[in-house]
Amino acid sequence: MTFFFLLLPPVLAALLAFFVRPYRTFVGWVNAALGLVSLAAALSFAANDIALGMPLASTLQNAPTWGVVIDSLGLVEFLRADSLSALLLVCVSGVGLLTLLLSPGLWRESDYTLPQLRRYQIFMNLFIAAMLLAVSANNVGLMWIAIEATTIFSAFIIPLKVSKASVEASWKYILICSVGIALAFAGTIFAYFDFVTLSGRAENALNWTVLLQTAPNLHPEVIQLAFVFLLVGYGTKAGLAPMHTWLPDAYSEAPAPFATMSGLLIAVALYAILRWKVVVDTALGTGYTNNLLFGLGLLSLVIAAFSMVLSKNYKRLLAYSSIEHTGLTCLGLALGPLGTFAALLHLINHSLAKSMLFPLSERILHRYDTTEISKVSGLLKVMPWTAGFFAVGILALIGLPPFGIFISEFALIRAGFDGGHPWLMGIVLALLAVAFVALLNVLNRMLYGKPPYGVAVGEVNRWQIGLLSLSVVGLVILGLTLPAPLLMLLNQSVGIVSK
Amino acid sequence: MSDPVFSQLSTLGSSVVLIFGILLLWRRSVSAYVNSFRWQSMILAGILVMIGYFGHDTELYLVALVLFILKGLVLPHYLERMRIRLGVTREVDPYVNNATSLIVAGLLVMFAYVLTRPLLLITSLPTRGGIPLAVGLIFVGLFVILSRKKALTQIIGFLVLENGIVLLAAIGTYGIPLIVEMGVFLDVVMGFLVMQVLVYHIQGTFESIDVDQLNQLKH
Repeated sequence: MTFFFLLLPPVLAALLAFFVRPYRTFVGWVNAALGLVSLAAALSFAANDIALGMPLASTLQNAPTWGVVIDSLGLVEFLRADSLSALLLVCVSGVGLLTLLLSPGLWRESDYTLPQLRRYQIFMNLFIAAMLLAVSANNVGLMWIAIEATTIFSAFIIPLKVSKASVEASWKYILICSVGIALAFAGTIFAYFDFVTLSGRAENALNWTVLLQTAPNLHPEVIQLAFVFLLVGYGTKAGLAPMHTWLPDAYSEAPAPFATMSGLLIAVALYAILRWKVVVDTALGTGYTNNLLFGLGLLSLVIAAFSMVLSKNYKRLLAYSSIEHTGLTCLGLALGPLGTFAALLHLINHSLAKSMLFPLSERILHRYDTTEISKVSGLLKVMPWTAGFFAVGILALIGLPPFGIFISEFALIRAGFDGGHPWLMGIVLALLAVAFVALLNVLNRMLYGKPPYGVAVGEVNRWQIGLLSLSVVGLVILGLTLPAPLLMLLNQSVGIVSK
Repeated sequence: MSDPVFSQLSTLGSSVVLIFGILLLWRRSVSAYVNSFRWQSMILAGILVMIGYFGHDTELYLVALVLFILKGLVLPHYLERMRIRLGVTREVDPYVNNATSLIVAGLLVMFAYVLTRPLLLITSLPTRGGIPLAVGLIFVGLFVILSRKKALTQIIGFLVLENGIVLLAAIGTYGIPLIVEMGVFLDVVMGFLVMQVLVYHIQGTFESIDVDQLNQLKH
């Protein structure tokens, strides 16, 4: 039942936006309220998973009680919400709610036309629904469909305002991501092929739980091939180098809410990789997937760190920072249980940090009318609150205490040293330092100096800042302590993925 | 039983489907691309029916029907309409010229054979001869997207790639579960819709659909 409260609200919200024509302000508010229902459902999943206790060995036994069975279609355990899913469900619906509350058209000032706002409400809610479905689907085929759907829905959001740049960005986005995700589907078919060869056709063979049970017997060479396709496919979506080229374009040209949600899109794509990694590891041992993840993760870090130094555009800078953190998370996933713990925590922290930085960058863009770093100066005088929050966000992003990212990066690096990769961690630290310098340098330039001529002074839309302080509070809490329920959820998730 | 016939038919069918994919690299007129895609989809639907018949799987008939209507009739119709509305006739100046493209396509198919060797070793399916051809078609579709300049050609390349995946699923596993198959079709339709909208946007803002002008976004 709870699944209905989880998945139905965003669909209803999209329908409401579709039928109310032209857009009215109440639609945005009702949709935000529906987002709240989703969040409540996700939280109840998390609470139940925690109540069930450590599902280390008992995942498979516990799952059916959580699965939705649709008898008429012969679907067993169609959806499920184990701890790992619940963790991401809370993240997606939480940041989704924040995004909906920050949506243009909810409050008085907005520079979008009514049809644009209507389209935004339709596709943003469908986008959220697809992400929730991707995380709660037990069937890896269904998971793929949902992730592909996120690409399509978000491609409607990027060119909300048609311009050369936004059209270019969305064309690259849809083409690269569709092709990438198609390769992931080929990988899924390879794995299914192996399953069919072993045990014949079965309607529920694409269920993750069933795949996992069969995994020890799967053929190593076939499953290796499958994983390469899956990693390239979902890696494209996650923005892993060298498939990351769409990401800076899309992030810098899309309206801020898209970029806000995109931190989660990365999380969802990495989640898909993680689910498959478990299956492949069970078949092959952990060495194979870890090496691939090390390679791509490190490459992403290198490319992102140096692109950040060269970047002249603050929105692109934030996008490259997303690639950097994706790479970091990938490394974490390859570092055993400790690393996985750190990586999952890092995903949450990074989503929180980006959920405030992108709306802030939109405010700056709105005021200065440029995304070029060199043309933004004196932010502290022009918009003191925005500047303060922006600074806090950047400081959190580069991993300073007392913010959550410090803790997760620290845990990740420690896991690396414990796991016997001192050299790798040395390189990672050096690259983090490069990013550190690049971000601080930019922050310094933007905050101080004389405001350019003709830029109005003073804050508008203060409520936005009020909402964003939620992200700051979250980051600080995660930096000072790990709340017991979250700790439990993380431990359970790590238990699920490292057997 | 009729295994040898089935085996030969499926390999033959897969080859024809692959050849229609390679036609994209050979021809230059966009209407020929649309036709290639139309015929490829129809033959693919035929292969699905055949596998459904020999493999005793009625679900595949339904998949074949949807595929036939969607990719054999509806999408080609819309592609043709787009072609006329946009006034595109030829892929004049691709990144890689046609002769080189054909050689690359040959290499890609050979690479597909190398890549799928482990799959062929473990299976005794009568249809296994088609597996490398399907993977080859996926690569050819990818190459079309990379090497051609018109946005419309890229869409067709993507649809051909998608056909390669359907062929792979049919040949390798006699079709993936129905619910997944239908979801994939839904995604194809929606993906096509958004690409169509974007192509018109490209035409509107850049006054042509050559994607090599899409190079404004840098650091």
